[in-house]
Amino acid sequence: MLACNNLVVAHDDIVALQGVTLSVHAGETVALIGANGAGKTTLLHTISGLNPAMSGDILYDGASISKLSTDRRVALGIAQAPEGRRIFPGLTVEENLSLATVNWRRWRESIAGDLDRVFDLFPRLKERRRQLGWSLSGGEQQMLAIGRALMARPRLLLLDEPSLGLAPRLAEEVYERVKLISESGLTILVVEQNTVLALAVADRAYVLETGRIVLEGPASELKQNARVREAYLGR
Amino acid sequence: MADFIQLLVSGLAIGSVYALAAIGFVIVYSATGVVNFAAGQFVMVGTFAGVAMLVDAQLPAPLAYSAALAVMALFGALFFLVVYLPLRKSSVVTIIIGTVAIGITMQNAALLTFGSWPFRLPSPVEGRTLALGGAIISTHALGVVGVTAIMVAGLWLLFNKTTVGVGMRAVAQDIQAARLMGLKVNRLLALSWILAALLAGVAGLMLGPMWFADVSMGDPIALKAFAATIIGGFGSLPGAIVGGLFVGLSEVLGASYISSAYKDLISFGIMIVFLLVRPQGVFGEKIQDRG
Repeated sequence: MLACNNLVVAHDDIVALQGVTLSVHAGETVALIGANGAGKTTLLHTISGLNPAMSGDILYDGASISKLSTDRRVALGIAQAPEGRRIFPGLTVEENLSLATVNWRRWRESIAGDLDRVFDLFPRLKERRRQLGWSLSGGEQQMLAIGRALMARPRLLLLDEPSLGLAPRLAEEVYERVKLISESGLTILVVEQNTVLALAVADRAYVLETGRIVLEGPASELKQNARVREAYLGR
Repeated sequence: MADFIQLLVSGLAIGSVYALAAIGFVIVYSATGVVNFAAGQFVMVGTFAGVAMLVDAQLPAPLAYSAALAVMALFGALFFLVVYLPLRKSSVVTIIIGTVAIGITMQNAALLTFGSWPFRLPSPVEGRTLALGGAIISTHALGVVGVTAIMVAGLWLLFNKTTVGVGMRAVAQDIQAARLMGLKVNRLLALSWILAALLAGVAGLMLGPMWFADVSMGDPIALKAFAATIIGGFGSLPGAIVGGLFVGLSEVLGASYISSAYKDLISFGIMIVFLLVRPQGVFGEKIQDRG
């Protein structure tokens, strides 16, 4: 469904990704793990079209999307819950959610069904629907960020460090929901520093180190891999 | 008492014009981060669009006002395309200097086109007055306050009840996240400039009959609009409205009860006090990040 071929991305003179090749097949959940600064967020930004690639290509359903603007990519079904959640602080929970529907919503079309689905998944958001984004707790903001991405009716969901800054209990709660979303059949690419959580939901995983993919394979195999265990699982 | 009512209405009328200019300024600032130093010249262009349509072309009023506002919308779009888009990747300081340069260019273009002699822009309610509590007040001044109230209500609806307006607020709060939500960000940015130009146009058309239409009228308006945004709270829309009305009232009441020589001193003095004591203004930023 998604294929990145030999992607090279630089910020000014600093090369962040040096030839990354990665694929995500329809229906699977893929984890991209790696330390801070490995280039994980850069890769997601490039897939969403926030960063241009210097060379290499991004294929989505077999067609190149490298030249498309971000809003075109969202309309094709690529939605992202970005790093740091990036909730609109001055918009209510409901405004945050309904804004994400602009890519598919026709004039006067109802979004009630989509809202209900998100509220079923994250009941806390329903209680807080009239509150401003900034007033939510970190965990609630993360749920809003994921819910907002789901409102875009994605076919490929990109999650950037959903556990970032959350207490362990909350991070687990967020990942329980990611598991549910994944089981509903949605294709997910999740970027994560918390390797334990990410490998628990993923079918396959890639390990990114300083802009290169150094390991890849089924999540169950990577969990047993000596290098991953030492560097990322701490045992 | 009659005097006071008269002064109150004309203070509110001139304050409404400052408020509209300040709102346009705030909309552009919050969406694009650009402090638009040409904001006062936008109002001047609005007044002269009115002069061109009403005085020069002698169009009937409804047509003339629509044509003048259409010119303003076009002007806003042009400003976005010619000034903002090419400079948007540069540092904010460069863009700000760019708006200063364009402001000077606009003023001189107006000077070349219309000459230095001031014009009188007629009002649709020219010369009419109303008696209110023993005071004789100009219908135009009341109309200005009314039109401004309608514009503010319209803006409230736009920003709270429409997808486009909520999208504009989202772009102002986090432009990258707005892109990730699939918003057509450039279109919304263009719309902020167009909206600012339209508000300035309405302000200019209403100000024309109260002042003389003079090509150098832009600077004093810009200064008053800046003072209004600082007093009200930089970046805040309610602040721009309250600040604008406050500056207008202090100017008119100060000129009459204290001395007309000190009318600017009063509004700018208050602005300086705000900068020293409460730099976030009356409506200090309520939004904050809770990481």
